[in-house]
Amino acid sequence: MTEWLEKHAPKMVLAPSFIAILVFVYGFIGWTAYVSFTRSKLLPKYDLKGTIQYERLADSPRFEVALTNLAIFGVLFILFATIIGLTLAILLDQKIRTEGPLRTIYLYPMALSFIVTGTAWKWILNPGLGIESVMHDLGWTDFAFNWLVDPNLAIYTVVIAGVWQSSGFVMALFLAGLRSVDNEVIRAAMVDGVSTPRIYMSIIIPSMAPIFLSAFIVLSHLAIKSFDLVIALTGGGPGYATDMPATFMYAMAFSRGDIGQAASSATVMMVIVTAIIVPYLYSELRPRHD
Amino acid sequence: MAIVAEQSRFSRIFWPTLAWITAIVVFFPIFWLVFTSFKTDADAVKPEFLFKFTPTLENYSNMVDNYDYWRFAGNSIITSVFATIFALVVGVPCAYAMAFDPTRATKDVLMWMLSTKMLPAAAVLYPMTFLTKNFLGIYDTKFLVIVVLMLVNLPIVIWMLFSYFKEIPKEIIEAGKMDGVDTWGEIKEILIPLAWGGIASTALLTFIFCWNEAYWTVRLTTTDAATLSSLIEGNRAPEGLFFGRLSAVSTAAIGPIVVLGWFCQKQLVRGLTFGAVK
Repeated sequence: MTEWLEKHAPKMVLAPSFIAILVFVYGFIGWTAYVSFTRSKLLPKYDLKGTIQYERLADSPRFEVALTNLAIFGVLFILFATIIGLTLAILLDQKIRTEGPLRTIYLYPMALSFIVTGTAWKWILNPGLGIESVMHDLGWTDFAFNWLVDPNLAIYTVVIAGVWQSSGFVMALFLAGLRSVDNEVIRAAMVDGVSTPRIYMSIIIPSMAPIFLSAFIVLSHLAIKSFDLVIALTGGGPGYATDMPATFMYAMAFSRGDIGQAASSATVMMVIVTAIIVPYLYSELRPRHD
Repeated sequence: MAIVAEQSRFSRIFWPTLAWITAIVVFFPIFWLVFTSFKTDADAVKPEFLFKFTPTLENYSNMVDNYDYWRFAGNSIITSVFATIFALVVGVPCAYAMAFDPTRATKDVLMWMLSTKMLPAAAVLYPMTFLTKNFLGIYDTKFLVIVVLMLVNLPIVIWMLFSYFKEIPKEIIEAGKMDGVDTWGEIKEILIPLAWGGIASTALLTFIFCWNEAYWTVRLTTTDAATLSSLIEGNRAPEGLFFGRLSAVSTAAIGPIVVLGWFCQKQLVRGLTFGAVK
């Protein structure tokens, strides 16, 4: 008995979390996927009706806006967070004595509740209260910054706040990467008289390719799941100009009473995430631990 | 690049100055928030009062007296602390089993667990609300919030602990086994002391995530189990009217994390980068 217990103990301690994840995550996701093939409206229905919900989704201008926004936001957010994160990491790598506290400050946005910081950004970007009116008071009366209330530009304010939140995280990843670059190679390059910017461009940055990949995966996952960010900053507005798939899904499920559309948009999101994340996770986990 | 041969006077002054100016810019939205929390609602909407104003504690006393701040804060503390503890209680044995007694399926299980974190929570929210409200009757209870917070963070907890445990030489654990220490003894006497730093980072990260969680807590509670996230959400509604009060609530919600993070900088950096930074 003791022997049996000893042998199976690891499996038994694993079982509860395994089952919990199975039921709560996959069970519910399975339910959502199933419902997306029914005619559910205000209440879930369980008789399968084919792809009708997906056809409605494809015809929905609001969902089209949401997907376009996701594309705009995703590309700009990942691009700028990576560039700024890398720049900050190189900056901190210049033998600055107070590196520790600075690193913490750069990382803080990631550690703080986004409904709080999103609210702060909302004021800063608000034409009547924030930067614009401060500039007007300082005498620069032509200064205009009203992206937050402009349906065509509002999505870019979401990019600003998102980049602000995540750059510090990317910085920390790159800083760790900079520290693990082989010093011998750099020393050799310096002896050869290669300039510092060239050393960064040709030796250091290329050697951090795996970190670019990790940063990309984490950032794209944040982009697709950016729900709190949009809700805190614009609430999806003006109108539905800054809707994203996550806020679209939420609006359908909880304010429009359209469970079918909510379920099908959630399923579309899952497919997008899976397409990006799963290949990466496989390549990441397979060779290293097997 | 750790080896900058010798620094000129210029770069000794220039780089730190630039880095600190950047830090102030990064921190600016938070400064703005804290400043506003000491202004009256009337002053808060006048930008010319950005720095010149008579500080007042009115917002904070109002928050405590009229908005039941301590109940929300208490709920936040209780749910975050217990969710963190439970996540570790489940996560430590789980990561231990995977790190020291791996089977062929271990990597797949790990990947699979982590993949659940990547899936949009939106897909789970509706059935979750439906089930807890109509069938289980645990909607708006601290129990539900704790369970949900624990579950949403469990994949990250296990993943992080696993990567820390991996660093411990297997021989140490095996030596314990030779000496006839049982599994529980191994975890308690050998594993936990050795991996203490990693466990602490994981705990801090989990606590921060639980504390900040808004998506689930706001939507699975109404009054009894509502956390600080709900208090902020509730105060956000009347647009542009109560900025002073809203900033006070917000400052009081992020204050503990800023302070905790400052005193545990190493764990914060390690945790927030999911163990990538040692």
